[in-house]
Amino acid sequence: MSVQYTPVLWNRNKLVYDAVLLIAVALYLYVFIRYAPAFEDVTKPIDGATLRMRAFGSCAFLMLTVILCIGPLARLDRRFLPLLYNRRHFGVMTAGIAAVHANYVLGWYFNFSPTDKYVALLSSNTSYGQILGFPFEALGIGALLILLVLAATSHDFWLSFLGAPLWKALHMSIYIAYALVVLHVALGALQGPGDPILTSLVTASVVLVCGLHFTTGRMEAARERGEATAKASLEQAGWVIAGEVDEIDEDCAKVVTLDDDERVAIFKYDGKLSAITNACAHQNGPLGEGKVLWGCITCPWHGYQYNLADGRAPEPFTEKISTYRLRLIGSTVLLDPKALPPGTHVEPVKLGVSA
Amino acid sequence: MSWKQTKDAPFFVGYLNAVPKPLAVFVLVFALCFAGGMGLAALALSSTQNDPGSGGFQWGNRFEQAGLLELRPYPVFRVPGDGKSGPRTYMLSGQGKRGVFAQAEANAVTPITLRGVPVNRGDLTMIQVGKVEATEDGTGNFTPSAAVPLGRWKLAGEICDGKCYAGAMRPGQGLAHKACADLCITGGIPPVFVSTGPVEGRNFFLMADKDGNLLGDEIRDLLALYIEVEGEVERLDDLLVFKADLSTARVLR
Repeated sequence: MSVQYTPVLWNRNKLVYDAVLLIAVALYLYVFIRYAPAFEDVTKPIDGATLRMRAFGSCAFLMLTVILCIGPLARLDRRFLPLLYNRRHFGVMTAGIAAVHANYVLGWYFNFSPTDKYVALLSSNTSYGQILGFPFEALGIGALLILLVLAATSHDFWLSFLGAPLWKALHMSIYIAYALVVLHVALGALQGPGDPILTSLVTASVVLVCGLHFTTGRMEAARERGEATAKASLEQAGWVIAGEVDEIDEDCAKVVTLDDDERVAIFKYDGKLSAITNACAHQNGPLGEGKVLWGCITCPWHGYQYNLADGRAPEPFTEKISTYRLRLIGSTVLLDPKALPPGTHVEPVKLGVSA
Repeated sequence: MSWKQTKDAPFFVGYLNAVPKPLAVFVLVFALCFAGGMGLAALALSSTQNDPGSGGFQWGNRFEQAGLLELRPYPVFRVPGDGKSGPRTYMLSGQGKRGVFAQAEANAVTPITLRGVPVNRGDLTMIQVGKVEATEDGTGNFTPSAAVPLGRWKLAGEICDGKCYAGAMRPGQGLAHKACADLCITGGIPPVFVSTGPVEGRNFFLMADKDGNLLGDEIRDLLALYIEVEGEVERLDDLLVFKADLSTARVLR
């Protein structure tokens, strides 16, 4: 959280995160370019430029795979949440590695010619009407442009400038980039002489990314069904039954899904209950999976905080989220499904004081 | 699989330097697996790359011979035999992805001395031309032999650019190299057909169209694909020329 825009708000966790990333990437490139070629069974060594473009290209592909797995993994097991915290640095580094790959391709395959290399890149293979021989470079260009745009707009300035819905929609194009990269590899490198290792890695990547997203999607759908209590409830003058007080751990929340798929997080803390929207104002993080720290709801993704009674970030921060009214009948929690304007104060319901 | 936050579950807040111990251990194990996995993936991918062949520039074996330049239809250099071997015909390229049509046209018929660097892969030798000078001796009364027809053949294989395939790039063939091959051929590098089956013991052929003229845009969609095509084959000294009838071309895979 910050009240002003700085390039990076460094802290120890971010430094460790980036250090691990750099070590892993450096190890990959060193092994690929310097160490492993000694074990190649070749008549003459592969060109250094080709080796480097393969090293950087495959590294970017594997990094993109891991990036796309972090989200669903964090949904399936919250211990992966620390990987989500600094994922934007992961993405920026991936875009950089992909750009180096593209630069090697430009400087090797499209260089040494009377034709300008950028013109050559776009004009030398125009067999767009066929699958075999399709200009797979165009798919790579598309993916790289998306990655660069996402890297450039990954800062919170752009999140604030574009607004969370547009920014989120823009950054969902990472899936388009991934699809383009898979096609780029499938119609390019995989069309060469059989390479079982590369084929296996690409297949594993696609199965992993699709499988994790499918599993997470099913889990979310099951969760929606399990929360039908709020939808088909014993309605009382427009209120819905949100559940029993005992279902909620102290300083934690229960998430309730309303008819319009809006999710509400009901927190229990200091003998009180408060309800706020489940979506963090920062990046729509699931606030209901956070905790109450120092009297504030704390988002599990990036640690954004809000006061429980009014959904406002503690000063000097300015973020606001919607609040909801609650009632308690016995040990049953009732929720008014009408969201109040962001930042509206709602008196917390005191436990033991039934309506 | 639980999504519900509980009081006892460790909770990570990025800007707090203290990471709950169970999470720190988990993340450490993940980091080690991630870095180790990247290293293993690099080892597996890099050490099992396909053999790019034996081709390459012969930098230590500079080429300098006297002979004649011809357009067949691409520039070739024809040199007389030297007693140990018969006359030879070399394919030619310029620097980078450039052909040598200008030099070949300017020095047609007159004997010249050609200096350059051979690019060699097995029986295929292409000379990257450095310098062309008129010469008054060295070729004697050398008269290149006429092309010897070897009949009509149906060949299966790949159209490559002769320079990269010869070893200017390793690897210099395949679909990943298609755009580069296109750029080379557009720049004037002679296309070669690399056949899976030999004709007179040779697996590569300088290409021309069915009438013996330069190939045009009609080969662009066929470049780097595994195709089958019919045409007349003829021999120029040790070089085979394939006059491909591209109307018979069929993509095999």
